[in-house]
Order: sequence, then C-alpha cells, then structure tokens
Amino acid sequence: MSNTIGQNEVINMILSAVARIRENHETLSKLDSATGDGDHGTTMLRAMKALEDTINANPDEKLKDLLHQIGWAIMSADGGSTGPLLGSFFMGMSEGVGDNSELDSSAVAEMIIAGVNKVHKQSRGQVGDKTMMDALLPAADALKAADKGATVQDILKDAAKAASDGSEATKDMKAKFGRARNLGDRVIGHKDPGSVSISLIFQGFYDSFAN
Amino acid sequence: MAMKKFINDPLNLTPELLAGMAIAHGDKIAIQSEKLVVRAAPKDESKVALLTLGGAGHEPALSGFVGEGMLDISVVGDIFAAPGPPKVLEAMRLLKRDAGILFVVLNHAGDVMSANMAMEMAEKEGIKIKMILTHEDIAPGIDTPIEDRRGLVGCVPLYKIAGAAAEAGKSLDEVYEIAERFNNNMATLAVAMNSATHPSTGDVLFELADDEMEIGMGQHGEAGTGSTKILTADKTAEVMLNGLVSAVNAKKGDKVMVIINGAGATTLMELFIVLRGVKKVLDEKGIVIAASKVGEFLTVQEMAGFQMFIAKMDDELIELWNATADSPYMTVR
Repeated sequence: MSNTIGQNEVINMILSAVARIRENHETLSKLDSATGDGDHGTTMLRAMKALEDTINANPDEKLKDLLHQIGWAIMSADGGSTGPLLGSFFMGMSEGVGDNSELDSSAVAEMIIAGVNKVHKQSRGQVGDKTMMDALLPAADALKAADKGATVQDILKDAAKAASDGSEATKDMKAKFGRARNLGDRVIGHKDPGSVSISLIFQGFYDSFAN
Repeated sequence: MAMKKFINDPLNLTPELLAGMAIAHGDKIAIQSEKLVVRAAPKDESKVALLTLGGAGHEPALSGFVGEGMLDISVVGDIFAAPGPPKVLEAMRLLKRDAGILFVVLNHAGDVMSANMAMEMAEKEGIKIKMILTHEDIAPGIDTPIEDRRGLVGCVPLYKIAGAAAEAGKSLDEVYEIAERFNNNMATLAVAMNSATHPSTGDVLFELADDEMEIGMGQHGEAGTGSTKILTADKTAEVMLNGLVSAVNAKKGDKVMVIINGAGATTLMELFIVLRGVKKVLDEKGIVIAASKVGEFLTVQEMAGFQMFIAKMDDELIELWNATADSPYMTVR
C-alpha cells in the first residue's frame, strides 16, 4: 500500500461506496419506514445511479471538477433532503481536494472533512439529533485526529469505525429534525437511515483498499 | 394488506402523472424539462412571477394550481420528495425578470433545504426573488417555533391571493407583504382516519385502529397529538375549529376563509357535513365565513381524513381571493 493515492483510487473508493449502498438499499428503505416515509433506499439508489453515470460520462475530468459534477448530479436526482445533503458532501470534497491529483493521507482527510463541513452548513443536525450528522461528524473527528504518518487505509478504517459507531448510537435517540421528529417516541429503537447510508459509504471507501 | 393502485412502474410515477395532467389541461399548463409545470401561455414579464416547489403524490397540489392568476411554475420532485436545487434554479432562471419572483415554499425539511440552496445560487446570479415559507400547521402547538410547524393546504389559497396581487401588477414588495399578511393569519389542522400507502414502496404510512382517528396527522403520516376514538362530524369540527379559531385569534365580527380539504379517501358528503358543523360553531361565536371551499386540493393518496383550514380575512384579501383565476383545479370567473 502506497502512502499516496491518485485519481483512480479516489474513484474506486467512491464506486466501492456505491456498491455498498446498492447491496443494502432494502435495509435502508425498511429503516426509513420506521422513521420516515420508507423511500430512503430508493432515493439512495437514484443518487448512486446519478453518481455512477457522472463518473462514466467524464472519464478524463480533473478530480476536483468530477467531484463537483457528482455533487450536482446527486442534487439533481430528486431526493427530499438526502439529495442536497449528499450532493453537498461531494461538492465539499471537490473544494477540499483543490488541484491535487496525488493525495497522501492528510490530503484524503482534508478532502473528506471539507465534504462533511459542507453538509453541516446545510443541516442543523448535531451529534445526538438522529440524522446523518451522527455518522458524518464522528467520521470527520476521527480523520482530524489521525496520525500524520498513517496510511490512507488506516485513516479510512478509523473513519468507517467512527461512522458506524455514530450510526449505531442513533438507535436510542429521538429525532430533532425532519419527518422522524414528528414521530416522537415511535422512532426509538430504529437507526437513522441517513446515518446508516453514511456509514455504508465510509465502509465502502475503506473496503476499496482492503481488497 | 397489499397495495391496490392503478400504476405502471412504481419508480416512474411522477413523469407519468404529469404527462396525464398536461393532456387533461393542455389549454392551461405544459411540462417543460421533465419536472417543471409551466403555464401554457406565460404571464407578461412586467408582472411578478409566482414559483413553488414540492414532491408529487399530493395531486392536484401543487401543479394543478399553475395558471392565470395563480402559479407560474411548479417545480415537481418525486413522490413525497422535494426536487433538487438544480431543478429549482432552472425554474428561477426561466422566470428571471425585473419585476421579480415570489417563491412559495411549504415548510418540510427537504423542500426548505432545496429552496435555500437554490435561493443562494439565484442571488449570486442576480435573480430578484423573495421567499415565503408557509408553516400553518397548529398540531405541534401555536407556540412551537416556526421551523417545527409544517406547511399544509394553506399554500393553495396563498397561491390564489399572491397570484391575484401579482396579476394586478403590484410590485414584488407589495405582493410579498400581502402574501405574508395572509400567511401570518392562517392555520390548518389535519385529521386522519385511515392510512395511505407510499405508491413507490407500497409501505403503509402509519397505523390507526378501526375505531380511531388522529388529529394533527401530517400529510405524510407524521404523528399528531395522539389517536382518539372516532367522533361525529360535528364534534370533530368543533374540536378542530376551536384550536384554529384561537390560533388565528378570530373574534366576534371577524371574517374568515374556511377550506375543508379532503385527504383522498374521504367523501365530499362527509366534507360538506363537516363544513356545516364548522358554520354552526362559527355562528355561535359570531364569526363570519367570507369565503369557503370544499374539495380535494392537497391529497395524500388514499388517506382518509381532511385538513381544516381557516384564515382571518380583510377586505383586500377577500377581493384578491375573488379575482379571476384560471388554473386546472381552481377557476374564478
């Protein structure tokens, strides 16, 4: 494992996340039936298709521009608040990556943290509010805390673990925002589907190096 | 119970329903760029344009109110899901004009997020636009912060009133002031008796026992104030109306608009009986019905129940409500 990754590896990370979401879309919709209106899996599938189409249509695009276009494409795939939030994640990554094409682990961390920050500008959610921020913010914290000498694989492993733990914790929460909020105590015992999606995405990022 | 609906591909509902609506009402509306419902004959550019956005599955809302004296463009999302910001921005670009755009947004998380992001982009492009957020649901309590109160059927009369003001050639500031005045004087309460299924997933939105109803249920099955045993039409009307009257602070001698909006599976018979009950209670309080509508304006698939809407009216609002309009599902001649 080299200590820097290029554009192809970043694309592989993203495609690996797409695969993870696709494998689990039914679970995502089921979770959403308990906390929302049951279409989160369908929404994510639509977003993943938009994402993959963008990658296929722009094989020679600069990473920064490709990430921006992915964000725009996901936002265009109507999906309630999921589209704008997930789209913001990739747009933020685009800003974070800048003109880099070779990324060491700090650059990868910086890219993903910028994505999380961009989402947080749109969502009022904090840790504990039962939203996707419960997975995103701990993942960003894990990346911020990463050792400078760590490999890309190491930092993604920590981020995936933090996202997964954060998502698990939403099980016992009441929701502060969105439709789930209106369901009051009825959502306790169910994980927030948005946080599960984020956890799957980070798991996918990590998996692309584990194989 | 399995979903029973006349559909084709559950993932292609929105384009198919819009295509049908455009065939039925081709003299008034057209579909542009897949998800924009526009007027068949555009409004003069010297006048303020009216724009809205929202998910599909609530027909005739929102797109059935595009037309003369009402909306200029409705940006449609997928079933119960907001359209993305790029589509909204596209509509804003189409409507860009010196007179400006009034953008009506119902308070639902996805709609607001998409609207805010599109507003940010539009302002960067120098598009003159003002946003108005409807949030008239009183189910969470009238002291609840605005961001926690949903936008329900009240958007429809607001389109009518703001649309009439725009059609009359008023400035963006004037149209905004009128719309905001109406917005601040309206209230809605919903009641559900039977659930609906999400037409894409087939999932039941919520469960209610055979002998129960729930006041305050939102238009996607969001919880209300808890379920109760089913009451008579008169008793239901009285319970709901008392909350609404105090929410808009209507007093003896005041004029109000009343709308009884069927959720999808409740008969017109029932809705008329409810309106009669409403009138009885208002008569006792000395409050005058200056305008009323009964029917299906904003539905939730086959949900049984209705939304009861009231707004305190002044002479200007009544005049605008009565001005001519010609949209597929609201016409005043």
